[in-house]
Amino acid sequence: MSKLTTCWRYVLVLSIVFTFSGCQSTDTKLTRLSGWSSNPVEEKLVAGVLADFHREKPAVNFKYEPIPGNYTEKIQLMLGTHTAPDVFYLRGETAPSYMRFNVLEPLNQYAADTTFRIDDFYPALLKSFQKGDTLYGVPKDFNPYVLFYNKAMFGEAGLTHPPQNWKELEAFSRRMTKDTNGDGKPDQYGLVLEPTIEMIMAFVYQNGGDFQKEDGTLGILDKNFLDALEYYVRLYRTGAATIPSDLSAKWNGECFGTKKCAMVISSGWLIPELRTNYNDVDWGVAELPVGRQKATIVFTNAYAMPKESIHKKDGWQIIDYLTSQDGLKSVVKQGLALPPRRSVAQNLGLYNDPVKRVFLQSAEFARTFQTTLPERWYEEASVALQMIYFDNKTPREAMEALNRQIESGILQ
Amino acid sequence: MKRLQFQKFIFYAVLLLMTTVYIGPFIYQFFISISQSKDVFGDPVKLLQPPNWTFQNYANVWVDLPFKQWLFNSLFITLVQTIMNVFFSALAGFVFARLTFPGRKFLFGLLISSLTVPVIILLVPKFIFMNNLRLVNTYAGLILPNLITITNIFLMKQFFETIPKDLEEAALIDGCSYFRIFWQIFLPVSTPALAAVAIYTFQGSWNEFLWPVTLAITSDKFTLPVGVGFLKNQFQSDWPLLMAGTLLITLPTLCIFLVFQRYFVQGVAASGGKE
Amino acid sequence: MPQPSTRQRDMITIAWLFLGFPLLLIGLFVFFPIGYSLFISFFDWNLVTNQRTFIGLANYTRLFSDSLFWKSTGNTILYTIGVVPIQTFLALFLAFVMNQKIRGRSFFRAAFYIPAITSSVVTSTLFIALFSKQGLINQLFGLENDWLTNPNTAMLTIMANNIWTTSGYFMVSFLAGLQSIPNSLYEAARIDGASTWQQFWKITVPMVRPVTYFVLVLGLIGCFQVFDQIFIMSAGGPVNSTTTLSYYVYVNGFKYFKLGYAAAAAIVLAVLIFSANQVQNRYFKPEVD
Repeated sequence: MSKLTTCWRYVLVLSIVFTFSGCQSTDTKLTRLSGWSSNPVEEKLVAGVLADFHREKPAVNFKYEPIPGNYTEKIQLMLGTHTAPDVFYLRGETAPSYMRFNVLEPLNQYAADTTFRIDDFYPALLKSFQKGDTLYGVPKDFNPYVLFYNKAMFGEAGLTHPPQNWKELEAFSRRMTKDTNGDGKPDQYGLVLEPTIEMIMAFVYQNGGDFQKEDGTLGILDKNFLDALEYYVRLYRTGAATIPSDLSAKWNGECFGTKKCAMVISSGWLIPELRTNYNDVDWGVAELPVGRQKATIVFTNAYAMPKESIHKKDGWQIIDYLTSQDGLKSVVKQGLALPPRRSVAQNLGLYNDPVKRVFLQSAEFARTFQTTLPERWYEEASVALQMIYFDNKTPREAMEALNRQIESGILQ
Repeated sequence: MKRLQFQKFIFYAVLLLMTTVYIGPFIYQFFISISQSKDVFGDPVKLLQPPNWTFQNYANVWVDLPFKQWLFNSLFITLVQTIMNVFFSALAGFVFARLTFPGRKFLFGLLISSLTVPVIILLVPKFIFMNNLRLVNTYAGLILPNLITITNIFLMKQFFETIPKDLEEAALIDGCSYFRIFWQIFLPVSTPALAAVAIYTFQGSWNEFLWPVTLAITSDKFTLPVGVGFLKNQFQSDWPLLMAGTLLITLPTLCIFLVFQRYFVQGVAASGGKE
Repeated sequence: MPQPSTRQRDMITIAWLFLGFPLLLIGLFVFFPIGYSLFISFFDWNLVTNQRTFIGLANYTRLFSDSLFWKSTGNTILYTIGVVPIQTFLALFLAFVMNQKIRGRSFFRAAFYIPAITSSVVTSTLFIALFSKQGLINQLFGLENDWLTNPNTAMLTIMANNIWTTSGYFMVSFLAGLQSIPNSLYEAARIDGASTWQQFWKITVPMVRPVTYFVLVLGLIGCFQVFDQIFIMSAGGPVNSTTTLSYYVYVNGFKYFKLGYAAAAAIVLAVLIFSANQVQNRYFKPEVD
């Protein structure tokens, strides 16, 4: 019996030791900062700015942990599992669900400090991270939709300026859509639009419509919404514009870069592509053509802190530095991000840059596309658009189906 | 006789075709992994020309990605799970094969019947459970649920039942403890079964995807399949890099398989299958 | 010499002692979750906020009125029906071929088995490359199909992946079965002038029926739960054409954070698998003499 107990004790100890050796939970001494990592270059850039911060505030012990893969889901998972970083990037489009779940730290108190100058930020960006008057994120960068146009093609067609309104957009696009080899299929399009809800929303906002109205009800069957959607779809169906997949392209930037079209609606992420992969394109940018009013969609990100964080003070120091003049300047100078502070843009002379000026001016009338619907609405909206583009349903039919689906409460 | 020759020819032709279908993709994978991005989807012949080859992709996988970390995680988790599985499944298999106690049959039946329960049904409750223990995104959380596999217990029990009883009876009369019988009599003669369990568990743990992809949130806790699975989003068009990464994941299981093929086949044949 | 009764008691103690740790783990990570899953399915349980409210059967009624749930169920069944017969037949065929007198048998056997030991992440990534628009498959056959973004072929591609990886695996199960068939049966058939093909249908197929049943059961359980390949290759798209029940469970739990709802869907999947097994038992189970 004694031998057995020895053996058994050995096994028990072994298993206990092993079990707890794996238990090292996330480090609680450090203030953790997380963001997505779209590429190694960006990661290095952030690390560089953080090194500057460390020189300035050596007392703050922090760690930068970029999160690969489905970022939005992961952060929410971490919030739910008490493993969230103390400071993290927050996408404007996803902000409402975080605010709804009440898991973010309100930042008004911190930002009230007069040296912080919250009023320096573009209001449209701040608004994306506010619920009522409460601020839940400090904008770090932004990217609005603008119109990219091919100057050579415009010149060839005798056009002297980018389209100013919807009518011109359609007319110009038609003029530049042509079939040069006579096979019955155009080999140059005026415009390539993406069948995505974000791009459509730019037109909806210009038309005074909304996906979800202020009171929370759906606006997708309202006249303003449907008119804009019908205009957008008509451009495609009447051959004035096309979609990337019809040109065997992954996205419209590829069509623009390979000179298959004269105009695309896109944003900052197209610029490095044009510079590195398609440097023979002579391009320019302009504000989106105007509908009833000026409007565009902006993609903006912010820094946020979880309510649960135990390092809020240090966390705020990081946010404070990264969104300060110095912090923003170094990011803007090295990369292609646009500063959310008007003063930084002015000080760096970005308003004198013909390309950046267009982006900055667009921020004045831009909006983040947000809804407070349950997450699955986005997939449902994509399905509805697929019905239009690939099943030949009318915009009204598709929106009625989407409306039914959302109203049924199944997504809750 | 001629007809027989013809039959033989057809037979080998089919065999060769099948072999191409089954390992051809891996050869394609290898050639992409040593190619340059621009050649990947061009003329396939270009992939075969030595001047176009480069091993840079492997260096990139190793240097640019947290590959070392993922490799460590995968190895650590897999080894712990394999060792524990071998030990505990042998122990439990021994009990079910040799000891009699009330409820033995019922218990064993219960274990076997749970094999048909889909893994996905366990996912949400296991996750909540781990969350309550604050084990999400930890090694313990990744390792614990797969420390013991019912199939392995079954396999060991089947094997132990084939061992003749004379030896242990003599030992019992000499006053040997059950643990000593297990340790000194059963284990030494069970190498094939233990090897099968070990290899089998190694392969299963190494390739496991659903649990780590759910439980590991940050990159420092990723296993190789999870890490490389996410690379796909990040390096969409860098096929040489992706193929080099995926090929590296395959190597350990492939080597173990080629060396211990015999046990592999025995294990599958005896257990009848995966869970 | 100890008394028999003490010895008996000793044995019981030791049995439980030996089984203690394994049973604890199995209890915690297999049996407890099964029951807990049912419990969770009666709640509106949000993963992010950790708030839960008892809502009775509401998750189930919502599930049954969700068209995507039905679509996933349909996809799962379609997938299973497409994969199981082909994978089973192919496995048997491969085993039959391997059982012939051929040179380099172990090489061929290994070749067929390699996809089965390869990580699903690897085979899936590999298939994305093979079946992409400019991939090898299109180049070989002169096609221009973008297999995984075309709603009509995405599921087929994933099915092909599964057949490719599992047929070699089940081949080994069949091989064991084949080796137990007495050679005299084949010899007798050969004397009667039966061709190899006839031998396959008339002797091999009926003789391996128990293994076939076994492979069908395992294949079905595996197919009903397909997840990794969907996750890597298509994420359920395009237009939900590859959303299977497992993936639906995962997405609802870990993308929409509706744990109760996900648990309910998982239970429906379990019931579905159970019923399918019952059907198999009824029609395919070989009679035991």
